[in-house]
Amino acid sequence: MRRVLPFFKAAGLILFLIFVCLPLVQMTLISFVATLPRPDTTVGSLTFGNYANILSDPTLRSAFGNSIAYVLINICITVPVAIPAAYAFSRMSFLGDKHLFFAFIAFRITPPVVLTLPVFQLFSALGITNSVFGIALAHCLFNLPISIWILQGFISAIPKELDETAFLDGYSKPRFIWTFLLPQIAPGIAVTAFFCFMFSWVEVVFARILTTTNGKPISMAINGLFGFQTDIGLVMAVTMASMIPGAILVFSMRHHLSRGFKVGRI
Amino acid sequence: MKDRTNTGWIFVLPAALLLGLVGLIPLITVINYSFFEIFILDQRFWVGTEWYSDIIGSGRFWSSFGRSALFSALVLCIQIPLGIAIALCIPQRQFWIGLALAGIALPLLVPWNMIPSLWLSVLNPDTGLIGRVLASFGWTTDWKLSVIQTWAVLLVMDTWHWTSLVVILCYSALTTIPAPYYQAANIDGAGPWQVFRHIQLPKLQHVLLMAILLRFMDSFMIYTEAFPINAGGPNGATMFLAVDLGEDIKAFNYGPSAARSVLYFLIVLTVAWVFTKGQGKIDTPAPSGGRE
Repeated sequence: MRRVLPFFKAAGLILFLIFVCLPLVQMTLISFVATLPRPDTTVGSLTFGNYANILSDPTLRSAFGNSIAYVLINICITVPVAIPAAYAFSRMSFLGDKHLFFAFIAFRITPPVVLTLPVFQLFSALGITNSVFGIALAHCLFNLPISIWILQGFISAIPKELDETAFLDGYSKPRFIWTFLLPQIAPGIAVTAFFCFMFSWVEVVFARILTTTNGKPISMAINGLFGFQTDIGLVMAVTMASMIPGAILVFSMRHHLSRGFKVGRI
Repeated sequence: MKDRTNTGWIFVLPAALLLGLVGLIPLITVINYSFFEIFILDQRFWVGTEWYSDIIGSGRFWSSFGRSALFSALVLCIQIPLGIAIALCIPQRQFWIGLALAGIALPLLVPWNMIPSLWLSVLNPDTGLIGRVLASFGWTTDWKLSVIQTWAVLLVMDTWHWTSLVVILCYSALTTIPAPYYQAANIDGAGPWQVFRHIQLPKLQHVLLMAILLRFMDSFMIYTEAFPINAGGPNGATMFLAVDLGEDIKAFNYGPSAARSVLYFLIVLTVAWVFTKGQGKIDTPAPSGGRE
């Protein structure tokens, strides 16, 4: 039993990876095939033209810019707001903390489609529709609770003695967080940012309603490619290209992920 | 133990305000709309709870509810055990861990609106990689006419998309188990099953609860991925709760869609409440130490 177990494990993992990769392989294959007749290529021939078209199309180029912009803005809003909250949930007990956590969880699991209409109205009133800032703000709805949850796991893993010695030395809580806690939870911040990226980059419901004319992210630009005559090769190439930033992030984050990030309860 | 101090509120205030803006204010707006008949947004008539009684009294709501519940149940039954199993299969050598995790995470990076298109093309009996293999077992383009096959496609697609999240979460919890635990188990002659049952599973509890919560709600309210596969068909057999709501919103039925949203939010609240109860239950009967 013990000797065959590793083989089963390896086989299971490889089967799962094959399952995961099959649709992606299909996507890669199609992305290198010319699927619409053009003057210089025949349909069905191998080509890099789809990728060249991404670079030459200003709408697609700006879509990539928009996606990167709103994800970065979202991370820049979420992480600084989540760190003190995670610290409070991890170290302090205050009136209503359980209820507040309950509310946060409820908002995380609220499906975006439930809030689409009022979020659109509110954001039009604030004048932040059709901009990357609007999407970034709307995505805080699900990214903020998950960030607090991940970060408080990291903070809880740090011994409380660190806080106490710092306070004896006369540090205030905000200064303690800034000078001692942040360096300690740096991997946690990286994991949090990664999760924010992952949930935000691929989201479409808020992205769709908040960008009707301008500021469209990649997912919406892909939607725009579907039409009477869809160049499916280009669609697949754009999807493929949209996964590259994420794949680079995953690969560079693999040591943090593989050391395991702490998760706990609030 | 934690300090008892209400200064904690100062630290959570930014987060509470932000969620108030993007969550609470829209929610209150929705609740307000749900009691009105609205033609255009400036012109509305009070209708009381008419929309609610309409929705709750309609067979359509309950059949969608049943379909969503069944879908979620199947998703959980497949993805949670599979996620745990794959997390246990991840090798121990640093180099392979990185590769395995990076490969597993790939489906999470595909834009959601592309996932149905991707699967439709993979399952195409003439050109798809999986479709061509299945074609030799009698798979044809008629799968869209079969309820069972459409459901199977949705389940496989969702499993492909989201099992990775369960794997990553479970793996993160498994790595927090100190090596001496395994050494002690080895000395006691514990088999793989006993190690899993008494060492690994208890460490997984918190994470699993979170994974179940996320997977349950996201599959219960599946929207972006479900509709394009078969447009809710055949004969409405894949009309889920969120798809109904999406149709209402697209038709600009402000009042009924708001009432529907409020009902869905009540479901969300119930689930979150059960979740926090479950979390409390995991924590209370474990006074034997070892908890962080």
